[in-house]
Amino acid sequence: MAALEAVGLGKRYGRRWGLEDCSFRLPARRIAALVGPNGAGKSTLLRMAAGITRPTAGDVRVFGRSPQDQTVEVLRQIGYLDQERPLYHSFHVDEMLRFGERLNPNWNDAAARGYLAALDIPTDSKVGKLSVGQQAQVALTMCLAKRPALLLLDEPVAALDPVAREGLMHILLRSVVDDDTTVVLSSHAVSDLATICDYVIILSASRVHVADDLDYVLASHRLLMASSEQAPPLPPGVLVVSTRHSERQTNVLVRVEEPVTDPSWRVVEPTLEEIVIAYLREKGPRAETFGQRRDGDSSEDAR
Amino acid sequence: MIWATWRMHRSIFIASIAAAIALAVWLAITGGMEEHAWTIFTSHHCSLNYPGSSAICMSSLSGADSFSTVNAALCGALPALLGLVLGVPLVAGEIQQRTNRLAWTQSITRTRWLLTKIGVGALFTAAIVGALAPLFWWWTDAAQRSSHIQPANFDISGFVGVAYALFAFMLGVALGALIRRAGWAFAACVPIFALVRIGIRLYIRPGLIPPTTVSVSANTPVGNSDWYLNAGFVPLGRSTPAPGQAWSSYNLVVENCQGAGYGTQKAAHSAIYCEKANHLHYVMQFQPPSHFWALQGAESALFLFLAGVLLGLTVLAVRRWRT
Repeated sequence: MAALEAVGLGKRYGRRWGLEDCSFRLPARRIAALVGPNGAGKSTLLRMAAGITRPTAGDVRVFGRSPQDQTVEVLRQIGYLDQERPLYHSFHVDEMLRFGERLNPNWNDAAARGYLAALDIPTDSKVGKLSVGQQAQVALTMCLAKRPALLLLDEPVAALDPVAREGLMHILLRSVVDDDTTVVLSSHAVSDLATICDYVIILSASRVHVADDLDYVLASHRLLMASSEQAPPLPPGVLVVSTRHSERQTNVLVRVEEPVTDPSWRVVEPTLEEIVIAYLREKGPRAETFGQRRDGDSSEDAR
Repeated sequence: MIWATWRMHRSIFIASIAAAIALAVWLAITGGMEEHAWTIFTSHHCSLNYPGSSAICMSSLSGADSFSTVNAALCGALPALLGLVLGVPLVAGEIQQRTNRLAWTQSITRTRWLLTKIGVGALFTAAIVGALAPLFWWWTDAAQRSSHIQPANFDISGFVGVAYALFAFMLGVALGALIRRAGWAFAACVPIFALVRIGIRLYIRPGLIPPTTVSVSANTPVGNSDWYLNAGFVPLGRSTPAPGQAWSSYNLVVENCQGAGYGTQKAAHSAIYCEKANHLHYVMQFQPPSHFWALQGAESALFLFLAGVLLGLTVLAVRRWRT
């Protein structure tokens, strides 16, 4: 069963679509990077998955259950970090943890106190008196200590310093390995996530362009380079994502199904960051125009 | 969740207790002064009709009356204000600070979250207003206000204040959940609460339990302890005017029959003669003091019913709430 599945999911705000026709299947025990520019619909997608925004179209499922139903079963499986990091500012950190403990049967208090101690966040100070970064850490701790099967983290690294980012990535990897957690992290900067993710969802202009295993995404994109003066015709069977001309060189990022053997192009394997930027720059071809890849062969785990 | 509710709204809860204690102290002091003034008034055999007969009667009466209006307003306003102040931020405050997104993604359903918060808030509201009720009662007696069935006293006597407070509380919770902004919700609640309270007092309470009707001669004085509702000529065999007729509808009939100088000894015909000639009798309709507890129960039930309707609305609104 997919940890998170969207089918034709869409959200309209007035006449504008915040997210349109979004479909993907995220298998369990993955760390998915949800990347896209600001306003691409990342938060909308996560909020719909957490059951606090109602889809205008389509359906979203968490381990087969609709988060829109707001049942205890589905709520227990979701750990949601809102973009605004809401916390009770009049509470002491201790009381915030007590709140989590009382409302969550799987609460891991020792782990929560461990995280905060490692970050030097005093548990006897008021949440409202903490710095923005510390508040973000407390909010993250609330999500992690709940021990959900699916973590939905909206811009989790945004307010964190580089050391704290490193620490968070380590914690997330640990929880995937130890607790079989599935993680969705959103960011507008792919470099934050490239080191730990193994699944990529690229959103731009309210559309999903790519939603697949990292390995497949890397394998199915190639950067073709040739001299600008005598650029040869593109090899057959490739789909152009983005083209950049400079005076001397033409770089074309393409999506491929077969290896490119055309000797007139220099073929390079692009980095994830290059792929993401290519999609974001050109608004890219829509995923379905390429023929969506089946998910059958990817290693899924029923939970 | 019970602890969390208390912790979340602790400052408002504590401020409410402080306000209730302040009011209690104020009532005890001013009520004591009024009681003392009445004692002097009575011991000097003063009369309400001739308070000017001596300086001591004048001064004791003004002392006895000095806090009547203020205290009645305070006692009347407190349950409503307390209910609104506790109710409005219960849901609206969380939505405004986005903490609802935190609370509604824990392992507890929204309905349970809401019902726990409402339960704690409602119990607290009822407890404070209930604790003040005996003091209010003592004060209305100490200030020698008229009978408890009279509207000015009824509202602040007995247990009906608890029902008002719970209705105000649920109105605050419901409008807070629907409007999602505490300030606007509060502004909307005040006139709605006032309209409902005044509307029920004017149009529903008089007939909430069947009033007592007596057939009397036209110049019978109204009893001081009864809550007088209506009086007038009505057709024989009826205790109220015929459908479509007002209480004053038959006055003209009797006046015309009596001729010039009606209502006095000089009239051509006596009132009794004209009543009989027109098949009318004169009735007075009132709620006697013996109806006090039944009327308190009926009006409380009505307000609790309205609070229940608001509770249902709030549950629906919160369950359906999405960004």
